[in-house]
Amino acid sequence: MEKRAVFRAGSLAYLLILPQLLLVFVFFYWPTGAALYWAFTLEMPWGGGNQWVGLENFTAVLKDGKYWSSVVASCVFAFAATALALAQALVLALFVDRQLRGSRGFRSFYVWPYAVAAPAVSLAFRFIFAPETGLVAFVNQWWPGLWNPSINGAQAMALVVLCFAWKWIGYNFIFLLAALQSIPRALMEASAMDGAGPLRRMLDIQLPLLTPTFFFLLVINLTESFVGPDSFGIVDILTEGGPANATNLLVYKIYSDGFKGLDYSGAAAQSIILMLLVMVLTFIQFRWVERRVHYK
Amino acid sequence: MSFVSKLQMSAAAGALVAAFAVSPAAAERARFEFWYGLTGDLGERVQETCKRFNDSQQEFEAVCVGQGGYPNAVQNAIAAYRAGKQPTIVQVYDGGTLDLMLSGAYVPARKLMADNGYEVKWDDYFSGIANYYATAKGELLSFPYNSSTAMLYWNRDAFAKIGRDKAPATWEEVEEVARELKKAGYECPLGFNFDTWQILEQFSAIHGEPIATKNNGYDGLDAEVVFNKTKFVDHVKFFKRMADEGVFTVRTKEAGMDIVPSFASGACQMIQTSIADHGTIGKTAAADMKWDVAMLPVWNGTERKNSLVGGASLWVLAGKSEPEYKGAAAFLKFIGTPESAEWWSTVTGYIPVTNSGFEAMKAKGFYDKAPYKGRELAIESLTFTPTTPITRGIRLGGFMQIRKEVTDALQGIFAGKVGVEEALNEAAERSNAVLRRFEKTYAGKSLL
Amino acid sequence: MIERTPIFNAVTYAIMIGGLLVVLLPVWMAFTAATQTVEAVNRIPFSFALGDELLTNLGAAWQRGDFGTKLANSFILAAGVTLGKVMIAALSAFSIVYFNYRLRMIFFWVIFVTLMLPLEVRIVPTYAVAANALAPLQAILDVTGISALIAVLSGVEVSLQWNLLNSYVGLILPLVATATGTFLYRQFFMTVPDELAEAAKMDGAGAFRFFVEILMPLSRTNMLALATIMFVYAWNQYLWPLLVTTDRGTYGTAIIELKQMVPNPYGGLPDWNVAMAAALIVMLPPVVVVALMQRWFVRGLIATEK
Repeated sequence: MEKRAVFRAGSLAYLLILPQLLLVFVFFYWPTGAALYWAFTLEMPWGGGNQWVGLENFTAVLKDGKYWSSVVASCVFAFAATALALAQALVLALFVDRQLRGSRGFRSFYVWPYAVAAPAVSLAFRFIFAPETGLVAFVNQWWPGLWNPSINGAQAMALVVLCFAWKWIGYNFIFLLAALQSIPRALMEASAMDGAGPLRRMLDIQLPLLTPTFFFLLVINLTESFVGPDSFGIVDILTEGGPANATNLLVYKIYSDGFKGLDYSGAAAQSIILMLLVMVLTFIQFRWVERRVHYK
Repeated sequence: MSFVSKLQMSAAAGALVAAFAVSPAAAERARFEFWYGLTGDLGERVQETCKRFNDSQQEFEAVCVGQGGYPNAVQNAIAAYRAGKQPTIVQVYDGGTLDLMLSGAYVPARKLMADNGYEVKWDDYFSGIANYYATAKGELLSFPYNSSTAMLYWNRDAFAKIGRDKAPATWEEVEEVARELKKAGYECPLGFNFDTWQILEQFSAIHGEPIATKNNGYDGLDAEVVFNKTKFVDHVKFFKRMADEGVFTVRTKEAGMDIVPSFASGACQMIQTSIADHGTIGKTAAADMKWDVAMLPVWNGTERKNSLVGGASLWVLAGKSEPEYKGAAAFLKFIGTPESAEWWSTVTGYIPVTNSGFEAMKAKGFYDKAPYKGRELAIESLTFTPTTPITRGIRLGGFMQIRKEVTDALQGIFAGKVGVEEALNEAAERSNAVLRRFEKTYAGKSLL
Repeated sequence: MIERTPIFNAVTYAIMIGGLLVVLLPVWMAFTAATQTVEAVNRIPFSFALGDELLTNLGAAWQRGDFGTKLANSFILAAGVTLGKVMIAALSAFSIVYFNYRLRMIFFWVIFVTLMLPLEVRIVPTYAVAANALAPLQAILDVTGISALIAVLSGVEVSLQWNLLNSYVGLILPLVATATGTFLYRQFFMTVPDELAEAAKMDGAGAFRFFVEILMPLSRTNMLALATIMFVYAWNQYLWPLLVTTDRGTYGTAIIELKQMVPNPYGGLPDWNVAMAAALIVMLPPVVVVALMQRWFVRGLIATEK
């Protein structure tokens, strides 16, 4: 996507982007370069040297069957959580934007989840979804053993997906609402005059005009659910990657191998693979999904 | 000649705030930093310890900085050490011990105290505690700090219902009792989770079973795990059988009801957990609930050995200044006094780490009445026999990853997805891969 | 809109109320926990009934967390990151979207990739940079031989030092260095009709004037949304502030204190009631900020005829 009308590129263009590039270089690329170097070595955590091992760290990771099950778990988690978080937020934003009486009151609550700290959310989810004592315990009264995320991997996955999606409702909601509100009122009114009902207007006018924001959120949500701190924060508190690796997301595996297990080199190799994966995914989104985005 | 360009943008603002924060008297003291991993109520207790130390003398000031968890404390200390900004003392949990030991980034405990003119009776430490943090030859490298061991907690009220008033000493008895409790209508006679500390590590120690070759890794980095070939396998099979019959019940925090709250609320009648939870259960259980602790059961015909210590120790890092080491030594001396040990045991559930500390508390009648009565059994368990080469501790590289492998295996087993042997064999194989990787990382280094 | 759609309105309310329940349930749960005693909060099953210990717990949390100072620090951090990000991101997105130069796509991706590697993975080297933010420059000078050249020419040994540990700058700067903002502005700038820029050019307005006088006012709601999210994002930052502040009394943030109050998993009193009370305290300022910011979300003020 390119703009037709642009200004002549002069030193101003570079000057404008310079602060951001400088920050990114100093605080991201420089340290990341050091961390990624470890992927090709075996690094002693406290310093004191390392030895070059070439691609050995990568082959070790890629040969590991459990790593591949983590890849699958990560993909399931990312797509499910993104879909759920976006769908919830979209519905809420569209309806709040109808601006019926009282909707202002509602909308301030919908941003809350993003403001709640992870330990509080996770603890709350743990209690609400506790198989024998939580709010969903009644399903186990009808059918004993039906719901138990501490044993059942698929249910554990559902739980972390729900928790992530809940936390990201607020984020998605606020951007979607902002986008909805920058749609000119005149456009909506004209359509109403033509006899289009509210649902029609949502589908025909608002949704197409939302696509740039929606694309932004899609990319951000997917990226965050693959590599974001919320993902491993939630997994760390709710399931610790279990049961039996069912929720051992790639980002959590990196965190537990590197951060807890002090295997810096293994974690670095896994990070590179994960980064490549997310980059490919993002590239696909820009290449294919963005074509369907209506910028004007 | 040196040209240093300093950009201290926040210096002015910082100085302004500092002027309010630090009184002139405190500024003259030699400061040193202590980073710790304990959080919550226990983190508060660490802060109190520092305050007690700072109030007790005028020379030094301990600046105690909570790092929000054990892994963070280690991780941040590593990052700081590599940038030359490390604290003088750092609290390191068992999982981080070996990496630090091999790093040379520390000042050995004995050297620190000798250099600063303190005499410490090193053999006063319980050998079951000291050896966990000592070289194979028995030289202590760090200072045992918050220490505990695992115990069996049992509900006296429930036991009375089935006409019993003693804790089971063997697993055969546990089975009997549990079945009777089940018959009497209790839903969770024994609750357990997938923490390897109790079911694998403590179990293996008291049964004198190795977890790994080379004396649990003390004699070399080329050790291999053997937990898939010991009594542990049968023990897991037993648990699996009991769980299938509904006599033992899985209670994890993931399910919203970990073993400790399950026991404290009376839902489970027996659990195995740390003595550090003794105080917690005392404070959270219903006031009229009668319960007690006992040493962990063993299988019939077993010659019981000492149990293992759990918790963390304090390491003094290399590369700090003379006054900082002086302060650190004074601080470590301070927390080693019997008074400090008693205070620490009173406000936390942790146990004293030295013989003299324990004896002093016993003499004062600390253990005679509630809420501390029963905690002396933890010392009895830790010192049940002199430590043998395989009950000193566990010295394995990547130990946190190995624990995770075993936990994964247990989760698979109790979900009914894999057989016990198959799962444990796989966990052992994967653990050995972790060990080989660790060995290679530290190629050329050897254990002290 | 002036029309009557009673059924659709009922559906709207049903959905909004449903959403409210979903959003409030976990918060309600945290609130309930904060009103109970330590015995009650650890009881199984958890009781969703309110206790009467709210003030006690809030008091205990306030005192343990020293929240007076800590909230102020969090506010400085969050405001700093928000301001920095809203501005720097707007500039960089403007450069990428409105100027035609070969490196623009490369720059965009260079910025974008920073979303893809969490801090946990690069924490050790990032700390080294925080200890001396000029280390990269120094290394470049050393490698290129410039510092050797200076040493030979002037006899001065170059040793650059800029310690960010225990400073507000150190807290704020690294958190400004991510891509979300740039990406969001890019998405918005793409929707702005080309005619506007063309008209500005015809009027003889320079790029910068177009940016300040036309583009920025148009971006207002998006800017507000970004500011809101960035405020909350920065407020909830944990690992970075934990790492760069050892002088907690002066520079510690509220989230660090909150995490510090989460009961230790291995023994210790599980006083979740106090932790949850602390969570309420820490959560309140961002909620207020969000509520205030929303007042500025007004539809239709911007006449972007498309």
